[in-house]
Amino acid sequence: MNDAIKTPMYQPEIETMSRDEIRALQLRKLKDQVAWTYERVPWYREKMDEMGVVPGDIQTLDDIRKLPFTDKSVLRDTYPFGLFAIPMDDVVRLHASSGTTGKPIVVGYNEHDLDVWRDCIARLAQMAGVVPSDRVQMAFGYGMFTGGFGLHYGCEHLGCMVVPAGSGNTERHLMMINDYQTTVLIATPSYAMHMCEYGEKHGFDWENSSLRVGLFGGEPCPPALKEELESRMHITCTDNYGLTEVMGPGVSGECLASRDMQHIAEDHFLWEIVDPETGEPLPEGVPGELVLTPLDKQAFPVLRYRTHDLSYVTTEPCACGRTHARMKKVRTRTDDMLIIRGTNVFPSQVEDILAGIEGVSPHYRIEVDNESGLDHMTIMVELLPEAFTDSFEEMDKFRKHIQSTLKDSMLVSSDVKLIEPGGIERSFGKTKHVTDLRK
Amino acid sequence: MAVQQLSVFIESKVGHLKRILDAFVENDISVKGYALSDTGDYGIARFVVDKPERAFTVLEGMGAAVKQTDVLCLKLMDVPGELARVFDVIAKQDMNVKYSYSLISTYIAIGVDDVVKAESALVNQPVELVSQVDFSS
Repeated sequence: MNDAIKTPMYQPEIETMSRDEIRALQLRKLKDQVAWTYERVPWYREKMDEMGVVPGDIQTLDDIRKLPFTDKSVLRDTYPFGLFAIPMDDVVRLHASSGTTGKPIVVGYNEHDLDVWRDCIARLAQMAGVVPSDRVQMAFGYGMFTGGFGLHYGCEHLGCMVVPAGSGNTERHLMMINDYQTTVLIATPSYAMHMCEYGEKHGFDWENSSLRVGLFGGEPCPPALKEELESRMHITCTDNYGLTEVMGPGVSGECLASRDMQHIAEDHFLWEIVDPETGEPLPEGVPGELVLTPLDKQAFPVLRYRTHDLSYVTTEPCACGRTHARMKKVRTRTDDMLIIRGTNVFPSQVEDILAGIEGVSPHYRIEVDNESGLDHMTIMVELLPEAFTDSFEEMDKFRKHIQSTLKDSMLVSSDVKLIEPGGIERSFGKTKHVTDLRK
Repeated sequence: MAVQQLSVFIESKVGHLKRILDAFVENDISVKGYALSDTGDYGIARFVVDKPERAFTVLEGMGAAVKQTDVLCLKLMDVPGELARVFDVIAKQDMNVKYSYSLISTYIAIGVDDVVKAESALVNQPVELVSQVDFSS
């Protein structure tokens, strides 16, 4: 057994509960949370009354399906404090998520909510190998964004020394690593990459720097980017997940035993995976939209929040020893979902399948049209030099092999086009994978 | 005796072949013969050059999908029936020519599965087998 993947636990008594104990705890908390919300938030009370459901109807965890979903639009419509469940005098902190259109979404916390949040962060930091003696350098911005303060207080709570450098000023960040001998970097993966490159260009010695852990968040981190950062900055990287609407970062975090899967803080969040079109529950392991119900939120409770994030969840035991379910880290929003001849296709699925095929890179592009009347999907796949043979016959065999492998997993056929190595545009973060030309 | 052929995977797109040819120019590599074939989506460009090792390194360095293959190279006399005569030798060996193209002058390159066998069948025929060194002069 590799001990390196068994990082210490912040709250082992909670993090190693049996599945039955977790479910029992969740049910007890869910009942309280629904009652709390129903009694205090008019929007939910009206909605539930309309649907003819009362808190007493929650007798099992599956009964959560009787409750209404909450969509982002509701949070917007009730701006700023319409969904708050406690008197504003008792709110001790406000955060907001950036509104790309219109008003932002405002959320509030009381002391209890902040306690829960700090615990969640301390847990995910330890999962990633952070210990109280670590020195944490914060490269998230502070401000209304939940990432900065969330991670800051959580790491402090764990006992780390936190350096609140904030975002930007890369040169100063590098100086701080050297001068304060910081060991943990909290950043968005793209800013970490910027730091990495800037440092390399200016002679920063990543190999011998004090930094050993990267805690990433704020945006999806493609596995290729993470690997790149790990090898160039000589650190271990994990990322964590959360969203302002249900708390902020800390909903789930990656342990070192199961890369790209993140343990959900199940004592504080009830997860569901639903079909993004119908809202119907999907079986364990099947990708769909992640729906979250915080179980311990007093100031700003939400029921069944539609994250629009695509993931799947497994409750299988994890080698790190934690029993909390793991969600596949989110790389795609359900908004990116394509419906091809009636079948749901997620671009990230394509990436996962390609990762399992030898001779191609994980980079791809999808083009959809319906010129012939039917939806037609073309997937551009990048050939790796070692897979090239001087034979059209073999190249076509290879192309068809990719085509059938994709079809077997996605259940919808596509045309695969082979592209030269490096022929697909690289851009970390906001890579545009899909061109939909359907009319 | 066989000659080193370089095959490159190329998307059927404007400028993609030129990138390779430019790299040859920059690296002082002289193309002695080439063939382009295409499926509509992608193609394979095959080259016989004077400095195959260097060309391979250059292409690899560009990140291209490139492969080295042995092909047989012959210098024919410029007389009617010459091509037929040569291919007849190979056909009599029950061998299939996968592709063939002509090079500078009346040189032709022939891709077969078993280059050695084809070569030994041709070596006693009145046809000149060409080696890589012949291109270096």
